[in-house]
Amino acid sequence: MALELNKLTSSVDALGASAARRLADLNERLPAAEAMLKTIRADDAELQKKIATARKYRWAGAIPTDEPVDAVFPAPPHPTRANIIAADGSQIYPDRHGIALYFLINIGSIIFRHGLDEAPGTSSTPQVFYEDDELYYAEESSPINGEMVNAMRDVRELGELARLAEAEAQIVPTVTLLDNGLLMYITLREQNSKFSDEIIKEYLEHLGTLRKSGAAPAGVVDRPRAANVVRLLNLAKMELSEIGQDTLKGVGPFHGVTDAMVFGFLRPGERSAVFVNASPDNDLYYEPGGHTIYFFYLNAGRPGKDALLRIEVPQWIATDKTKLDLVHTAIVEQCRVSDGFPYVLMRAHELAVVTVNERREFEQMVIGSLIRRGLTPGISQKAQGKQWTGTGKKRYPK
Amino acid sequence: MNEMTIGRLLRSSTIGYVFGCSVPEPEVPLFGMFVKAPAQRGQTETIGLIYNIAIEDDPFVRQMVATPDLPEAYIQDQRLNRQVPIEVSVLAVGYRNGDRFVQALPPQPPITLDRISSCSDAEVCLFTERLDYVRLIINAPDAPADELIAAALLRAAECRPPEERPRFLREAGKELARLLSRDLPRLENLLRRIKPS
Repeated sequence: MALELNKLTSSVDALGASAARRLADLNERLPAAEAMLKTIRADDAELQKKIATARKYRWAGAIPTDEPVDAVFPAPPHPTRANIIAADGSQIYPDRHGIALYFLINIGSIIFRHGLDEAPGTSSTPQVFYEDDELYYAEESSPINGEMVNAMRDVRELGELARLAEAEAQIVPTVTLLDNGLLMYITLREQNSKFSDEIIKEYLEHLGTLRKSGAAPAGVVDRPRAANVVRLLNLAKMELSEIGQDTLKGVGPFHGVTDAMVFGFLRPGERSAVFVNASPDNDLYYEPGGHTIYFFYLNAGRPGKDALLRIEVPQWIATDKTKLDLVHTAIVEQCRVSDGFPYVLMRAHELAVVTVNERREFEQMVIGSLIRRGLTPGISQKAQGKQWTGTGKKRYPK
Repeated sequence: MNEMTIGRLLRSSTIGYVFGCSVPEPEVPLFGMFVKAPAQRGQTETIGLIYNIAIEDDPFVRQMVATPDLPEAYIQDQRLNRQVPIEVSVLAVGYRNGDRFVQALPPQPPITLDRISSCSDAEVCLFTERLDYVRLIINAPDAPADELIAAALLRAAECRPPEERPRFLREAGKELARLLSRDLPRLENLLRRIKPS
């Protein structure tokens, strides 16, 4: 055993104590945040000035809409018939130590026809990428990395939803769900600007297709750690003259508090007010096409077991009361069956996931293909070493 | 009953096998049904009796059990789309080699993913012309022997024309009396179960 657990006992004890201390600290800060939320008025001219000033400094807070920031909305009635479509993706990352350079993306999707007594339609669509122009991206000529694969997977997830919505959303109210926020984040953008631009362009095209289809797309984030609303609370607390690059870096007296904690007062089925995500990416990429991303929080749990989700929707859903209600009630109904997270997203994940055994079997298929063409596939010596040693040492008894 | 494919083999041994199938139809698979599977690369066919049908669960299904007013679409998704096969256990009671039926353990079991079919009425009639297979059931360690004997004999009787059924069941009763002469309560119970109506 490489990890000598006996050397970690004191650290693990300290870890537990630290977590308890942090929670106690947060519980002391939370009432102030909750009280601050109640004081904020969206039409407050002073607050609007503060928001406008903060946005000059790439402030990633929450912008209130015409809904009071501390408003609570119970789940609307669920329509008798609705389609709930979900897509999720899984991948095998490129491995330069592996038998061949390739990567794989598998997209699982499900069309759940609420109100019909029939089994949902399901599909699983794998695609393997192995050509040079897929493996080496453009200007840097370096192999595609895991983050790029993730971005490609995200685009394909949304593309699958758009494809299915075009066929399904014409007649019946349709919600399409992603297991992620709708605002794509691609880090290291500076190094991969062409790639990022193309990915976001394609992503926005899919959002456009969804809009035309009449479907209501939403991104679902479980256990959200975001603090956009907390940043708003901190901003509201500041004087206009205090606002600057340095003062906007943290969240001042609300350090460690998350939006989910602030909206802990939501009861099962209730949602919060809708906010605009003030992320600079939202302005740069999403706003020009009318796809500005909004969000709200939703307690998708049941009495005795809260389950706070962050739901992201594009502007054309956030400002359409009927469709916003549809998203709200559809997610609540889906979560009723699977105890706090939409059933269709659990199933889409199940349809997409590439298990360790499946990956092994796929590698055997690749090895077979290479051998049939007279090649002698092999993994790197480093990877071989990991295989030799990774199964755990066996010590002879002393 | 006509021959039909009802599943594929999951695991096997000389004394029996387990096959998997999706959602059961009302008529297949049934406890006490005669089934067959190819063996020895098609040279022989093992004949078996279904003695257990197990429906496995998983954490996802367990979670859903407690949901009030569960809409039908969720149930159909779990039953038809999710790949959790129903496991059917079969006791080997004989085999077919060409036109000849043998009531003894087969020389080789079927192998993974072999197709499992139900025996036709004619095959059941031919196989059950002799009743030596009843001893194999009595000695089976895992099967509910008495229930299986009764179900298999009644099914074999059903495969025959109505006028032949009483005679077949009387002959079966005599065979049971020979095999269970030292266990009268058990014999009495079985005879009561297969008594011609």
